Amino acid sequence: MAKTINKNQINSLLKEVEKEYKAFAPIKGPEGDVLFKLLCDGEVALGSEDVVISPKDIFFPQWETMFKFKDGQIEETCESAPVFLFGIRPCDLKGLLFADEFFKRDIEDKYYLSKIEGRFIVTIGCIKPPRKDACFCTSTDSGPFAKDGYDLQLVDVGESYLIEVGSKKGEEFIAKHAKFFTDSDADTAKTKEDAAKAVELKVDFKKALDLMADDKFTPQEIYERIGERCLYCGGCLYTCPTCTCFNVFDNATDGKGERVRNWDGCILSGYTREASGHNPRTEKWIRAARRYEHKLKHDCKVTEKSGCTGCGRCLSSCPVNIGMSKFIQEITEKRRTM
Amino acid sequence: MKNEYLPYPATIEEIRPETFDTKTYKVKFKDQKIADSFDYKQGQFAEISVLGVGEAPISITSSPSRKGFLEFTIRATGKVTDEIHKLKVGDVLHIRGPYGNAFPFDALKGKNLYFIAGGIGLAPLRSLINLVMDNRSDFKHIKILYGAKTPEDMCFTQELEEWKKIDDTEVWLTVDKPCDGWGCSVGVVTELWKETNIHPDNAVGILCGPPIMIKFVTMELSKSGFKDNDIVMTLERYMKCGIGKCGHCNVGEKFICVDGPVFTSEQVKKFPEKEHVL
Repeated sequence: MAKTINKNQINSLLKEVEKEYKAFAPIKGPEGDVLFKLLCDGEVALGSEDVVISPKDIFFPQWETMFKFKDGQIEETCESAPVFLFGIRPCDLKGLLFADEFFKRDIEDKYYLSKIEGRFIVTIGCIKPPRKDACFCTSTDSGPFAKDGYDLQLVDVGESYLIEVGSKKGEEFIAKHAKFFTDSDADTAKTKEDAAKAVELKVDFKKALDLMADDKFTPQEIYERIGERCLYCGGCLYTCPTCTCFNVFDNATDGKGERVRNWDGCILSGYTREASGHNPRTEKWIRAARRYEHKLKHDCKVTEKSGCTGCGRCLSSCPVNIGMSKFIQEITEKRRTM
Repeated sequence: MKNEYLPYPATIEEIRPETFDTKTYKVKFKDQKIADSFDYKQGQFAEISVLGVGEAPISITSSPSRKGFLEFTIRATGKVTDEIHKLKVGDVLHIRGPYGNAFPFDALKGKNLYFIAGGIGLAPLRSLINLVMDNRSDFKHIKILYGAKTPEDMCFTQELEEWKKIDDTEVWLTVDKPCDGWGCSVGVVTELWKETNIHPDNAVGILCGPPIMIKFVTMELSKSGFKDNDIVMTLERYMKCGIGKCGHCNVGEKFICVDGPVFTSEQVKKFPEKEHVL
């Protein structure tokens, strides 16, 4: 029989979890914004708040020390404590799983992979889309509830959450913390159906992927418009759950310091600039094209999965109203949206 | 799990000036175990660090047939390479690798080879050239076509003389701007087509140089009848990690650092046109 947990029990459960894990959840800060932070940083927010940055930064921090050095001696700094991710959204789960696969591919990335070791994921389905008009997860088949890939998934059924178990680890967790859970025969079908209906923005994602897969299709006029309009602030790539590009540099004085990696992105002009000054992507439209083609075309070629999770953050974070859903509407519906 | 980002100390054993801004560094890993496990192939590259300054991808110019050391030919052209140029024999660099794919070797046996390079582009080809020279009887006729801006910009001048002396091996040189006493050709490297026969029969062209040179040499080889599969080139892009993670060297769905840097013209023609690779 399925289990439920009363909403007022969540904090007590998480107190238990903290003994074993480095536990992260959407935490409401003093300014009212919600970000994935350690439980000790504030109050857990499981409503329909928009978590502005995807949880990728827990495993792929915006600024990460790779190693330290002093007088020519290198000291490796690679942390690994099992992470408990509580209350991530299904779109972000898809993003994390996508990034996991990328960092495992070919040569393994120890910094990322050591941080996901022993990771426990609790997703929460979205009753209301957190980014209102920007979420389009029903079109990308990644929400508002996850189908797999989680250990546990919460379904909001009013006073309590119904628990869906997605893994052996999830099952063991329920058994271990049995005192927090009660049996339930609640039917979640209607809840899930209503949640899917609440995601109003629909795009023809499959048609977009088919169009992009055709190497002859380059919507150059659209790229040019995006290229002209874009402010190159990088907001879309920093908030995107599947953008994982980084720069590497040394931060040091007098031979003592650290090698650091930090977020970088393909729309920025220095991204492809070589030491000689030669830059194969000086034209703005080519840089704009790279981002859309990477997510909708190249990723599919390599992994058979698109790099877009329908989270809508690119649009909600954009000061000039550019976003993946708008691009898809332009190419599939042949109408101006940007 | 191995941390692929950690570089290992290597001592500079010899520095040979090539041109006013380019030097060849012969280095040896301090730890013999690391040296033994650094099993590279012709055309691969390494990431070289000056701790506190940064890291840059540099092709390995020594031949895998000559063991016990590594050689890198480095032009002072950025933060890291400028700093490397300040180092002296006995100083330490930090190196990780080898990365990337390699030039074909077995597939070239029994063939006529055309090595065509521009400027410092001879450095990655030199690894394969010396490997071929160390197995000379496995290959047919060899022509090395090399162009530079001026005679002073030519790398490996002494070695070019030595290659010339090897049986069935020709070396053709050209410069954009000659100086007094320059006895070879003048003009871009494709000018050498007028001087010597370039014949596609049982032949492979192997290229490295600036993008514009690669473009025109590929066109000339095609005109001469070379099939796209018999034109092999090593490409360059801005790189950071060298292992297909940082993203910078992406072209279409490929990364130059792991899927390349060696590609055939056939592969390069499938790259998105707007990337201006050819």
